Amino acid sequence: MKRRNSVMSRVFTALVFLFLYAPILLLIVFSFNRGNSNTVWTGFSLDWYRQLFHNRLIMRSVYTTLLVSLLATVIATFAGTFAAIGFYSLRRRQRAVLNTVNSIPMMNADIVTGVAMCLFFVAFFAFWSSFAAWFNGVQHIVTLPTRLTLGFGTLLIAHVTFNIPYVILSVGPKLRQMDKNLVDAAQDLGCTWMQAFWKVILPEIKPGIASGALTAFTMSVDDFIISYFTAGSSSSTLAMTIYGMTKKRVTPEINAISTLLFVTVLALLVVVNLREAHMERTGQQERRPRSQRLTHFFDSPRGRWVRRGTAGVLAAAFLVVVVLLTSATNAQPVVNVCSWGEYIDEELITQFEEETGILVNYQTAESNEALYSLLKSGAGDYDVIVPSDYMISQLIEEDMLSELDYSQIPNFSLVDGRFKNLSYDPENRYTVPYAWGTVGIIYNETMVDGPITSWSALFDDQYAGDVLMFRNSRDAIATALSYLGYSLNTTDPSQLRQAFELLRDAKSRGVYQSFVMDEVFQKLEGGNASIGPYYAGDYLTMLENNEDLRFVVPEEGSNWFMDAMCVLKNAPHYEEAMAWINFIASDEASMANMDYIGYASPNTNVLENYPAYYEEVYGEALDPEIYEIMAAPAEILDRCEAYLVLPPDIRTLYNDLWTELGI
Amino acid sequence: MSKELIRLRNICMAFDDELVLNNINLYINDKEFLTLLGPSGCGKTTTLRMIGGFTTPTSGDVLFDGVRINDVPPHQRQINTVFQKYALFPHLNVFENIAFGLRMQRRPDPADPRKKVKIPEEEIRERVMEMLEIISLKGFENRRPDALSGGQQQRVAIARALVNRPKVLLLDEPLGALDLKLRKDMQIELKRIQQQVGITFIYVTHDQEEALTMSDTIVVMDKGSIQQIGTPEDIYNEPKNAFVADFIGESNIIDGVMVHDQLVQMYGRQFPCLDGGFAPNEPVDVVIRPEDIDIVPVEQGQLTGTVTSVTFKGMQYDIIVDFKGFKWLIQTTDHSPEGARIGIKIDPDGIHVMKKSQYSGMFGDYSSFSDEYDELDDAGLEPDEEESGDEE
Amino acid sequence: MKNRLSRLSIPYVIWMALFVVAPIVMIVVYAFTAAGGGFTLENFSRMGLYGVVFFRSFRLALIATVICLVIGYPVSYMMSREGPRFQRVAMVLIMLPMWINFLLRTYSWMSILENNGLLNQLFQKIGLIGLYNSLFGTNLTYFPMMNTQGAVVLGMVYNYLPFMILPIYSVIVKLDGSLIEAARDLGANGFHVFRRVILPLSLPGVLSGITMVFVPAVSTFAISKMLGGGTELLLGDLIEQQFLGGAYNPQLGAAISLVMMVIVVVCMVVMNRFGEGEEQAVML
Repeated sequence: MKRRNSVMSRVFTALVFLFLYAPILLLIVFSFNRGNSNTVWTGFSLDWYRQLFHNRLIMRSVYTTLLVSLLATVIATFAGTFAAIGFYSLRRRQRAVLNTVNSIPMMNADIVTGVAMCLFFVAFFAFWSSFAAWFNGVQHIVTLPTRLTLGFGTLLIAHVTFNIPYVILSVGPKLRQMDKNLVDAAQDLGCTWMQAFWKVILPEIKPGIASGALTAFTMSVDDFIISYFTAGSSSSTLAMTIYGMTKKRVTPEINAISTLLFVTVLALLVVVNLREAHMERTGQQERRPRSQRLTHFFDSPRGRWVRRGTAGVLAAAFLVVVVLLTSATNAQPVVNVCSWGEYIDEELITQFEEETGILVNYQTAESNEALYSLLKSGAGDYDVIVPSDYMISQLIEEDMLSELDYSQIPNFSLVDGRFKNLSYDPENRYTVPYAWGTVGIIYNETMVDGPITSWSALFDDQYAGDVLMFRNSRDAIATALSYLGYSLNTTDPSQLRQAFELLRDAKSRGVYQSFVMDEVFQKLEGGNASIGPYYAGDYLTMLENNEDLRFVVPEEGSNWFMDAMCVLKNAPHYEEAMAWINFIASDEASMANMDYIGYASPNTNVLENYPAYYEEVYGEALDPEIYEIMAAPAEILDRCEAYLVLPPDIRTLYNDLWTELGI
Repeated sequence: MSKELIRLRNICMAFDDELVLNNINLYINDKEFLTLLGPSGCGKTTTLRMIGGFTTPTSGDVLFDGVRINDVPPHQRQINTVFQKYALFPHLNVFENIAFGLRMQRRPDPADPRKKVKIPEEEIRERVMEMLEIISLKGFENRRPDALSGGQQQRVAIARALVNRPKVLLLDEPLGALDLKLRKDMQIELKRIQQQVGITFIYVTHDQEEALTMSDTIVVMDKGSIQQIGTPEDIYNEPKNAFVADFIGESNIIDGVMVHDQLVQMYGRQFPCLDGGFAPNEPVDVVIRPEDIDIVPVEQGQLTGTVTSVTFKGMQYDIIVDFKGFKWLIQTTDHSPEGARIGIKIDPDGIHVMKKSQYSGMFGDYSSFSDEYDELDDAGLEPDEEESGDEE
Repeated sequence: MKNRLSRLSIPYVIWMALFVVAPIVMIVVYAFTAAGGGFTLENFSRMGLYGVVFFRSFRLALIATVICLVIGYPVSYMMSREGPRFQRVAMVLIMLPMWINFLLRTYSWMSILENNGLLNQLFQKIGLIGLYNSLFGTNLTYFPMMNTQGAVVLGMVYNYLPFMILPIYSVIVKLDGSLIEAARDLGANGFHVFRRVILPLSLPGVLSGITMVFVPAVSTFAISKMLGGGTELLLGDLIEQQFLGGAYNPQLGAAISLVMMVIVVVCMVVMNRFGEGEEQAVML
C-alpha cells in the first residue's frame, strides 16, 4: 500500500538520471563519429572500433585492467569471506578493533591509501634488496632477485587490499542474520566442520558473497588513484591510460572500448535481472529441484570427484596464470621507455618490435620535473628515458644514469657534430640526442588582435581568461624570466622571486584560464583558449588540426632545448635499451619521427634532407616558415638560451615557489 | 528402562572466570524423559550443549555408555538436538532438511565391512517419508522452512533429529516460540513421539508446567547447581528447598521452628505435620501449597487473616490473605469478598517442612503477586543465557 | 567450536598489518622526516602556507556533499516508493555508470563545458549568448564554465552522487512499513511521517552517504585538474604534486596527507556522534 510519487517528483528523478547519463550517451555517440573530435559530429563511422584492436596501448591496458580486477576479485572474495567468518566468531571487543582497521581502506581518501602503499612498497623493496644481497652472499643454492619494482604484483596487492573490506562488509551482515544454531545443527547431524561450512554457512551467505564480489570487481575496474600510485611503469590499467590521454587528446578509440565495456555490462545485468524476474514469476518451486539436482550430483561419488577436480583445475589455472604473468615479463625481451606525449611516430614502435622481437612498453611523463618525481619515488621503473638537457645534468649529478655502450649504437655517428659533447654531457658518455626545438607562444590568429611578438601577452589583462600557462616550474618561471630580461639560468633568488610575483599577479588577475601540459593540444585546437606557451614541434601537430594557430619565438628570447635518450642506472634491460636507442637514431627512424612530431632531428642527413622528404611524401613543397619553426635558424637560436642544471637550493626554491603559485 | 546411559561426573564450567556450572553430578537412564528445569542463567542450556558436544566442560567427565566423550565432536556422537529456534536450513526444503543427517552418514558396506558407504537414496527416501508420517507432515516435503507455520517447523526440526535414530534426543526449549494452545498440543505430541521411538529425551525448559506434564525425571537447577532431582510428584510434593518449592507451582513459604518430629510452629502456633528428622527446635522453612488450605469461619481457624485481593481464575479463586503482614496465596472454590476476615485450616499432609537453605526468606511471600511475573522475568533474561553460551 | 572459526581471521589480520597499517605508519614516519633524513617538524611548520588549499578543498567538497544530499535524498526516497521492478532497474542504472571509468565521464564533461563545447555551441545556436550580451551589454562569445570552481563541484557531484543515493536508498527501503502506518495511525500527516519517522530513521544512511561523498571529494586531484584547469590547487593536487608531480617532496606530501587524514577522521567521529550505528547503512 505504498503511496505513489507525484508527477513532479518523477520528473525530478528522470532529470537526475539524465544528468547521470548525458555524458555517457555523448561518449557513446561520439564513438561512432568519423572525425576525432568529441564536440563536432562529422558523420557515422565504425573506424574507431576497427582501430581499437590495433591500438596496443589500449588493448594492453584493457587486458591489465580485466586481469587485475578479476584476480583481485577472486582473491578478495575468498580471503574476505573467510575473514568475515573469522571476525564473526571473535569476541566482541576484538571484533570491534579489527572492524575499525578493516574500514580504513574504505574510509581513507584513495590518494592517501595510494601514496601510503607506494611509500611502503618502495621502502620494502629497499629492505628486500639488502636482504637479498646478504642472503645470496651467505648461500648459493637459491638466488633471490635483488631488484623488485612496482608492477603488476604491487597493483594486485593494492587492489586486493581495498577490495577485501567491501567483501567483509557484505558478508558480515549475512552471517549475523544467520541463525546461530545452524552450524551447531549441521554438526549435530553429522557434519564435520568443513562440511558444515560448505553445506550450511556457504549457502546462507552466498548472496552476500556475490554482492561483495560484484562490488569488489566494480571498485577495481573503476579505480584510478590507487592504481596510479602502485602500478609502477610496467603495467598500466585502462584508467591510467585514459588519464595519460586526458592530458592531451582522448582518442575516440577510448570511447569505443568504453562503449563496448558498457554494453557488455548492461547486457549482463539485463540478462541477470530478466532471469530473476522470470524466476519470481514462475515461483520458487521450479528453482529448487535444479539446485537440488546439483547438490545431489556433487554428493554422488562422481560428483565429488568432479568437485575436487574443479577445485584442482581452478587452482592449477590460477597457478598457470601467475606463472605465465611472471614469465611473460621475463621470457619476452622488453624495453621500458618513458618519453613525452605526442613525441614519437607510433609506427616506429611496431616496426622495432617486428624487427627485433623486443616488446616496447612506451610510457609518457608530463614534464621533466614529473619524470624526476617518478624516478625518485620508485614509481617509474624505466630503461630508456628522454629528459631535457638540464634534467640530464641533474640526473648525472645524482648518479642516476648509466653510461652507454656506444659500440652497440653505431648510429650515434649520424648525429651532427654540433649536438655532441653538449654542456649537459661534456664527454658524451650518457646520451644520444633525440630531438631539439624551441619554446614559443602559440596563438589563435582569429582570437587575438594582430600578431603576438612578446611574452607580455602572457601577463597582460588584454586576453585574460583565454591564456594558458605551463604546468611545470622551470618552463613557467622561464617565460617570466625571459620577459623580465633575466637569464633563464639565474641563481639570484630575488630575480626568481620577481618572476614568481609576475606570474602570481597575472594569475590573481584571472589572466590564466588553466595551467596545462599536454592538455594544451585540446585547448588550443578546439579554440577553447587563444594563447599559450608551448614547444615548437607540438605547434606543428596542432596546426594540422587547426589552421588558425600561429607560433612565435618572442623577441625577448626564449629557451632552446635538446632532449636526449639516456639509460637509467641498473636498468634491467640494458641490451634492449641499446637496441632501441640505435634504432631511433637511424636515418629512417629519425626522418619519420621528425615528420611526425615536428621537432628537429639532431641527425645531419635528416635535417638537410627533410624538405626533400616532405615533398616526396606529401607531393608539395615544405613551407620554409614551417621548416624554420621546426629547425630554428641561427638568428633565432641566438636569442635563445639552453637551460642549465640549477644548484640544489635553487631547485628547492623553484619547487617551493611552484607549490606556492598553485595555492 | 533403568539402564544408565549418560553420566555427568563432577562437571564444572567457567566462562571468563565466572562459574556457570558448579559440580554437576547426574545420571540419565536409557529411554528416560528427563527435563532440566530452571530459570534463565541456571546452566541448563550449557549442560545440554555439553551433552551434545558443542561445549567442553572446564573439569569433570561426560560419560556415554560408560565411555568418556568429553572430546568427541558433535558429529560423532549418537546424540541429536532440536534447537531453540529450530535452526532449519533455510536454503533446503523440508525433505532435504530431514535427509541432511542421513546424507552425512557413512556406514560399513554390508558386502565389504572395511569399506564405508553412503546410505542408499531409496533408504533415505523411505526413512524421511516415515518421519514425515510420524510428524504428520506428509505432502510438505517440497516446502521451504519459511513457508511453514511455527508448529510445523518445530515438527520438522524433531524429525530431522530423529531420522538419524539417535540414542538420545536433546531438546532446547523447543516449544518456547509457540503459542499456548500449540504448546499444549506439542507437549502431548512430544511425549507420544518419545514413547513411539523409545529413546532418551533430554529436555530443557524454564516452564514448570511443561516439565511436570512430560517428564519421567526432573532436574531442577539454579545458579549452576542442581537443586533437586526427582519424579514430578516428588518435586512437587517434597521440594528440597525454598527455591524448588517456589519454582514448581505456587507456594507459601513461612519461617517456622520444628518443635519435634511431626510438630511445627508458625506464628507462635503449633501445627501437626508428617515430617520428621530435624533437631529439636531447629528453624525450618514451611511450605504450604495454596490448594491445601481450607477456608473456615474465623472462630474455627488455626490462623486468621484479612483478604486483600481476589482474582477469578475459572476453576478457582486466587485470593491473597494477609496474616500478620505476611501475604499468603490461597486457591479456593469459595468466594470471599475483599476485606473479609477469614480463618484457615491446614491438614497435616498439607504442611511440608524443609531445612533452611540459601534461599530461605527469598520466596513465598505474595506481597507483590503478579501472575505474569515469572513469565516476564524469564523472557527478559533468556537472550543473556544464549549469549554466554556462545562466548565459549 | 566458534573459537576455532575465529582463527580464520588470522591471515587477514596479518595482511592488514602489512598492507593497511604499515603503509599508514610509513606516512607518519615520512611526515616527520627531513628531506635529508632525521627527525623534523618542518613539514608541518610549512603547513600554514597551504591553509588556503585546505580551506578551498574542504569548502568545495562540502558544497558538493550538500548538493549530493539535496539531490540524492529525494531520489532515494522516491525510488523506495516505486514498484519493485522500477527499484531494481533504478538500482542498476545507478550502479552502471561506474563501469565507465570516471576519468572518461569527466572528460566527457570537458567537451560539454568547454568554451567551445557542446553547451556553448547550443547556447550560441539558440541565441542565448546574444540575448545575454544585449541584455547586459557584454561582449561574450561563450559562457565561461570550464576551469571554474563551479565546474569542479559539478564534477564531484556527478561522480559521487551514486555514493549518496545507494546508502540512503538501502536504509529507506528497509524501513518497516508498519512504522509509517503506526505514525499515520497516531495522527501524523504525510509531512510529519517524513519529518518524525522516516528522516530520523534514515539518518544512518545519510551519514554514510556523506562520508562516501565527502572523503573522495576532498581528496580528488583528477577532477580538479581536468575541470578546474589546475589554476587553483586542491589537496589532492597538492599531494600528487609532491609525489609524482612537478615538485618532488614526499616528506611534505606525507605531512599534508597526514593532516588531511586527521581532519577527515575528526570530522567523521564528530558526525557519527550525532547518529549512532552507521554500520547498518553499508552500501548495496
